Amino acid sequence: MSLQNIIENWSSYRKGAEQGGHHNYEHLWGMVIDLNKCTGCGACVTACYAENNLAVVGHEKYSRNLGMNWLRIERYWDEPDLGEESVAEYQHHGASFLPMHCQHCSSATCEPVCPVAATYHTPDGLNAQVYNRCVGSRYCSNNCPYRLRYFNFYSYYEESWPAPLHMQLNPDLTVRDKGVMEKCTFCVQRIRTAKDTARRERRKVRDGEFTTACAQTCPTSAMTFGDLLTLHTPGGGVGETEAASLWKKHQVELGKSRQQKQNPELRGYRVFEGLNTDPRVLFLERVREV
Amino acid sequence: MSVTGLLFSGHSSCTRADTVVDRGIRRLPVLVTLFVLCAFAFFLPQPAQAQSPIPNAVPPTDTYSGPRVEQPIEFPHDVHVEQNGINCMYCHTYARRSKVAGIPPTSKCMGCHLVIATDKPRIQKLTEYWEKREPPPWNKVHDLPDFVHFNHEKHIDRFVLGNDFPVERVKEVCAFCHGEVKNMTVAEKSRPLTMGFCQRCHQANEGPFDCWKCHK
Amino acid sequence: MNLEMKRREFLKVMGWTGAGLAVAACDRPSFITSREGRNHVVSYLEPEEFAIPGVGVTYASTCQQCPSACGVNARVREGRVLKLEGNLNSPLNKGKLCAVGQASLQNHYNPDRITKPRVRRDGRLVEIGWDDALALLREKIGPDAGLNGKRFAWMTDTISGHQAVLVDALMESLGSNNHYVYEPINSAVWRAVCRDMLGDENPRLGIEKARVVLSFGADFLSTWGGAVSGSARYAEFRNAPRGVLIAAESKMTQTGANADLWVPVRPGSEGVLALGIANVLASSHGRDLSALPASVRAQIDAHDAAKVAGITGTSEEHIKRIAELLHERSPSLVLAGASAEGHEHGYDSVAAAMTLNLILGNVGRTIESSAGFPFPQLRARSGNGRSVIDFAQALEEKRFDVVFFKGVNPAFTAPAALRLNELLAGGPFKVALTQFEDETTLLADLVLPLYSSLEDWGTHVPSIQPERNFISIQQPVMEPLYPETRGFGDLVLSLLHMRGDKDYAGYEDYYAYLQHAFVALPADVKNSVTKGVGGDAAFWSAVMQQGVLEFNTATPAALVAKPVAFEVQAAAAEGNGYFLLPSANPNLWDGRHANLPWIQELPDTISKAVWDSWAEIHPKTAAKLGDVKTGDVLRIASEHGTLEVRAFVYRGMHPDAIAIPVGQGHTAYGRYAKGRGVNPYAILATAQDRKTGEPAHHMTRVNASVIRRADVTWNNGSGMDRLVVQGGSSTQVGRKLVVTVSADQFERTEGGRA
Repeated sequence: MSLQNIIENWSSYRKGAEQGGHHNYEHLWGMVIDLNKCTGCGACVTACYAENNLAVVGHEKYSRNLGMNWLRIERYWDEPDLGEESVAEYQHHGASFLPMHCQHCSSATCEPVCPVAATYHTPDGLNAQVYNRCVGSRYCSNNCPYRLRYFNFYSYYEESWPAPLHMQLNPDLTVRDKGVMEKCTFCVQRIRTAKDTARRERRKVRDGEFTTACAQTCPTSAMTFGDLLTLHTPGGGVGETEAASLWKKHQVELGKSRQQKQNPELRGYRVFEGLNTDPRVLFLERVREV
Repeated sequence: MSVTGLLFSGHSSCTRADTVVDRGIRRLPVLVTLFVLCAFAFFLPQPAQAQSPIPNAVPPTDTYSGPRVEQPIEFPHDVHVEQNGINCMYCHTYARRSKVAGIPPTSKCMGCHLVIATDKPRIQKLTEYWEKREPPPWNKVHDLPDFVHFNHEKHIDRFVLGNDFPVERVKEVCAFCHGEVKNMTVAEKSRPLTMGFCQRCHQANEGPFDCWKCHK
Repeated sequence: MNLEMKRREFLKVMGWTGAGLAVAACDRPSFITSREGRNHVVSYLEPEEFAIPGVGVTYASTCQQCPSACGVNARVREGRVLKLEGNLNSPLNKGKLCAVGQASLQNHYNPDRITKPRVRRDGRLVEIGWDDALALLREKIGPDAGLNGKRFAWMTDTISGHQAVLVDALMESLGSNNHYVYEPINSAVWRAVCRDMLGDENPRLGIEKARVVLSFGADFLSTWGGAVSGSARYAEFRNAPRGVLIAAESKMTQTGANADLWVPVRPGSEGVLALGIANVLASSHGRDLSALPASVRAQIDAHDAAKVAGITGTSEEHIKRIAELLHERSPSLVLAGASAEGHEHGYDSVAAAMTLNLILGNVGRTIESSAGFPFPQLRARSGNGRSVIDFAQALEEKRFDVVFFKGVNPAFTAPAALRLNELLAGGPFKVALTQFEDETTLLADLVLPLYSSLEDWGTHVPSIQPERNFISIQQPVMEPLYPETRGFGDLVLSLLHMRGDKDYAGYEDYYAYLQHAFVALPADVKNSVTKGVGGDAAFWSAVMQQGVLEFNTATPAALVAKPVAFEVQAAAAEGNGYFLLPSANPNLWDGRHANLPWIQELPDTISKAVWDSWAEIHPKTAAKLGDVKTGDVLRIASEHGTLEVRAFVYRGMHPDAIAIPVGQGHTAYGRYAKGRGVNPYAILATAQDRKTGEPAHHMTRVNASVIRRADVTWNNGSGMDRLVVQGGSSTQVGRKLVVTVSADQFERTEGGRA
């Protein structure tokens, strides 16, 4: 195997066995976000702050782009087709909202550059960040095409949770200190709790048994979280999770940098798919009556 | 409906140590006591060896000896476990259901000690707390860093409940990490509880090696 | 370089090295973070059977962040509440929750809460005990105080359920009927129009049933009529067959930002636009207007599309397109909110919008009665904006000796031109029942600290009942953080006891009263919950677990539409300057959430700005003011005052308007709110809607000029001389991040349409 081969096929080393890769995934957590329904309200953002002990950095630090929002909603205005000079006088079709959190790429660009293996892929297909292993090189965030990794430039806990605000902190996960990288974990503490409960009850994790904080709170239910691999239904039988069925319905396949859909009009797409990062978040295109 | 007991647990992952009380440098007598106790423990008979070993388990062997943690009441684990044969999970009842084993509620202590041994000074001290309606401020002995999320339930499941091992002998499994508490008065840390310690045991017992099992 | 070196081999080597290092390092205990013997572990004194440390318990309660009354589930671990989720049992929010609801936690744990009663002595508020505070109250409103009930007033926010019953009882005991229910962000004009034209003040709006929704500034996705229930209906509306959302407004609201078609309207001319649409519906699509009063028909006839386009600034083409969509896709739904209401002719504009519903036959299809809630005494007393004007008037006439405030901050939200601060400062004895040191609390003579919403008991009845009638239960999810705070119900009950009220003498506390009230419910209500198994205790605990109590009520009678005459006009063309739009902020609301750090750091939906105020202007306006760029500081002056605020330039504004979101500009209210941004309420005129008397908040005229340019360079040291917004580019720069497809395509693939 030549270096050229490695460069061309390196993502196969991150792929699951079912795609001809090396991983024997236990689960493959993924998400679907319907931009036809997202209203950009920000409930998911605050839910994430509450669930994941995200630091509030304040006005001055925010002005230096130090906000620690693992989940952010990007708002874009319409633009003229590239090359065209004039812009419509008004924003006639509203805004475009895009909730962005770690895409948990199957072939994540952040993982191979970490000098200490603090970021890696878990057996259930999550892109993990191990705080106590992180040395703060920030190579990973430099290498993330989505800019979804957040670095603790300060010991935010010193000012973020003046008593008694600190009593709200979620004891299921760490409060991060200066010098470590952090990012969306797909609410790994909820995943672990659900798996522990299932194990105690001698069964598999069921679809819909738990979800991430953002998907749970979303007022329009625009987000669907679930296992893209195993297919255990609430009844205990085997079927398809809601998330997996949406991926299938929109004919988007993991492990591809360019989709060949039978019906090209289907709305599913992944952001920057062409970079071959193989993201695990499927977006459904925004719809407008034109 | 009422919500009793506001509990500031050491398990809170808040690194702001608002609930921390620094005891300062240990005085010499404590160390001497510690030494004496250790020596005493060494000469005790070890009844566990007489019984059959725990199936599917390779107990860890590392040892540790550090400063002894003082407690508001010198709780005699040995009297309860060794002399009276009380199961660990009678008091640390959450171990099979939760990530934490739990410190018994004061009401549980008083359940017996309203009538038993009420003349002992330790019990009188306990009764004082009970009458003040305050739980004793126990000090944490087996403390892990905030980025480590140990789960009692899963370990009990692996070695006892899911392992056909009699629950009556659970203390032998507890001893993996907590040492021979049955021979101690106040609990002491006698295993290093470092990541190396965890890893060696996970290796020997085929435990998971995914970082995010424990660090998140 | 050995190009043939296998990657897996390479990884293996790396792995071994790494593992070796790791093990070596991993045997060193971490002294930095492990605190053996220095951390306390505190056990329960007596545990609840169901509480497992490390696992937690969930309690159902009701969110109190806005008047919606969404059900919440609070996750409580080791006695601390950690997280709120929507309560799946609530027919209103169905398991969902908005950002502000999530942030209730920071209201509860806020470091700036008032923990002890305070009294004004020598001009300063000093802490006292409850005994002294209650003794002082007895002096003022006790049975021997000799207070004339007419000289007592109470201003509250929207209040419902058993708290409302107690407040009524106290008012009755005092012989007062001066209960002012004040909500700065409200839909009072809409409610008045609904009352007059439909005979129901709070009709249920079937957004999900409509195929077209036309909103004249009714921001139903955030501040209008309940964000979460509105969003849930909207989500259903967007399923195939996909509904079309049209927004006609002067400032893009969150609803407008999600519209298929957003059209600008000159402020105050929403009614004219509605007439223009009616005109096209009649002239081009043959809609029947005969049921309308002659005067209304005449107005519709007089407003053809071309004329309306001239007045409103909405293009003729768009007017025709909107009419066409409304005509072709039925049923539809026309809504009108703050920007239509906020003028002297606000009622008429909203009535014109409602007339469109009549013409289109929407009443009974997408607009239905929500009547039928079986306990009228528990219904919501919905707030309005007029009450603060009436209140100021009464203060001016020195009609009060004692006033109470609860849940309102009029010293911040009333237009400064009402001089409320001045009138209060010299006026009556003021009692603030509050959690925080806000502007009104600082003026008070006696401050009584309340429990947070997560520590208190209560029952809440949403003003618009969803498909199923219900009461939402609020119960404490945690022990009170501060021993010297009290529950609202407990406090009112103790005042009733002090007054010697016989009816309430038997209830020791509010909990006992509530429990009695529930147990006294009719047997069929109780059986519907318990299915006949178990007695009152089982019923009570079932209700507490569910967090809601639903009633099986008969379907209310159909609404009968009744057109009314109105006189639509556009805002005066003369008058200098721009219209100042004090826009309702989806997250800060009327300013009550400005003390929540999560909300301050949550970027605004439209501008993406954090921790600050901004003025939204159209690029044309920006050009006129002298090439203003986002971040430049504008001076905005009305005849009542001046504000300095950074500009935010985008194409979702009418060029004649400047919008400044309300909620910032606090001079008190804790560390997170104080001294941040500007308060547009401060420079508003005091005009009122002619028919309802509601404040006409959208017709203040202002002048604007640029006084300082933003410095967007990175090396200026402070990095702060600009509007702080999240994100970089405001367009996708061709990156295809958000791809938009046509509704036709959506219908083909997901609607089953060929």
